[in-house]
Amino acid sequence: MSTTSFKTRTIERLTPWLVPVAILLGWQVAASTGLVSTRFMPAPSGVIAAGWQAARSGELWTNLSISFARAAVGFLIGGGIGFALGLANGLSQLSERLTDTTLQMIRNIPHLSLIPLVILWFGIDEEAKLFLVAIGVFFPVYANTLHGIRSVDPQLVEMGRVYGMSPLSLFTRVVLPGALPSIFVGLRYALGIMWLTLIVAETISASSGLGYMAMQAREFMLVDVVVLAIVIYAGLGKAADAVTRLLERRFLAWNPAYRNA
Amino acid sequence: MLATALRVPEDAATREVAPREVPSLKAPAAPLARPETPRSATGIGVTIRDLKKDFDGHTVIEGLDLHIPAGQFVAVVGRSGCGKSTLLRLILGLESPSAGRIGLESQAVRTPTKRIMFQEPRLLPWARVVDNVAVGLGEGGTRADRRAKAQTALAEVGLTEKAGNWPATLSGGQRQRVALARALVSHPGLLALDEPLGALDALTRIDMQAMIERIWQAQGFTAILVTHDVAEAVALADRILVVEAGRIALDVSVDVPRPRRRGDADLAALEGRILDHLLSERAPA
Repeated sequence: MSTTSFKTRTIERLTPWLVPVAILLGWQVAASTGLVSTRFMPAPSGVIAAGWQAARSGELWTNLSISFARAAVGFLIGGGIGFALGLANGLSQLSERLTDTTLQMIRNIPHLSLIPLVILWFGIDEEAKLFLVAIGVFFPVYANTLHGIRSVDPQLVEMGRVYGMSPLSLFTRVVLPGALPSIFVGLRYALGIMWLTLIVAETISASSGLGYMAMQAREFMLVDVVVLAIVIYAGLGKAADAVTRLLERRFLAWNPAYRNA
Repeated sequence: MLATALRVPEDAATREVAPREVPSLKAPAAPLARPETPRSATGIGVTIRDLKKDFDGHTVIEGLDLHIPAGQFVAVVGRSGCGKSTLLRLILGLESPSAGRIGLESQAVRTPTKRIMFQEPRLLPWARVVDNVAVGLGEGGTRADRRAKAQTALAEVGLTEKAGNWPATLSGGQRQRVALARALVSHPGLLALDEPLGALDALTRIDMQAMIERIWQAQGFTAILVTHDVAEAVALADRILVVEAGRIALDVSVDVPRPRRRGDADLAALEGRILDHLLSERAPA
């Protein structure tokens, strides 16, 4: 019995990986038989070799950690401000009336269109990248936090009041947990935008980081390094998603929609 | 003292009879009749004088006088929009009166709490059942102490084994029992029930009614039940108030001994009388 269920579970877990593995194998075969020129598209083995070399020289880790730090700091700044304003505007009518219209107007500007302006302001230094990531991350976090707080069941809030909860415990025990599913939606969007923004910013103007590594490799026609950078971006995106899932499972375990996800 | 003495055999008798069991012939013996006078040291007495409540110039309650002795079980019935829920909210202090006054008096040393049970369970979906019950304790107290008290209240409603569950995994009747435990965990002096059984199926409702009656008899709080269901009012209450256009139109005491049997002729007659009154309101506008 238990071996059968274990087998089924293993198969279930491996199924999503069938297609990626098949693509990789086909790609490897096409590249090694010369069907695709390795000048334009290196074989997976070539990408792995390039990765090994970059890792051994330390270049990969330096660039990776620089990119990661930019992403994290930009995310914390933008997400933090977005979260705080979302809370403030969800809880206080005055604050919302004061700032929401302005924020909605700014939201309609594609944040990547600010790149020329940002380069003029900050040059190609760290601030430029942090600024862009922060702006990009801000809006999904803000909008979803606000929406989450607004959609908290008013009957539960009334119950909390009637049962003598202080404003603080009303917030921590009723309002915030109620808003959490929506806040997580914002978090997921924000993580996607975080990587996107960072890639664009590093590709256009940088002197370090993964995007810079890829652009430099292009100058020397090192296709394998270019592809390596892209693969790493994909991996980072997947990792961010996995972390969010883990958090959701931990904090939204009460919600039947997440329990079996 | 006399009242307390009278209560003992009554409680003992009710505990012996399981909720859906047919009561034995011996059970409704003479001393079980509840005296009209207050008998509770924990209950809150309510005195209302010339109460008035307007909402945006529209009068919902006008010139209402009422005294509820401590420990009494009062049912408030009436048509939708007659002001019965507003009356309940006023007594609880969720609304403030436009005129008149509401006095609450209690013999207990510490001011006992007022609690309400809503039509919906209103449990926090993100808190385990035991923590939902602990919400009823208000703030303060250690975590272990709160949990212990909550567990006791859960045992009272027969849900001990569900303490660690999420509310989403419970049935509608079980959720409402958790809500009852939450309302009772602080041993309130006044329990307001705002159509708490309206959304349940008929059998679950009968079980819940028996449970509420049993706990009320054991704890001695004052109970005010707002309901659409006249049969429910007749089965549970010492006294039934029919509210009509913001006033008390009918005030009847139910002198049928407990435990009451469903389908009892006296109860049926009383139910018919109250229904007739409610239906006659509709005739001329």
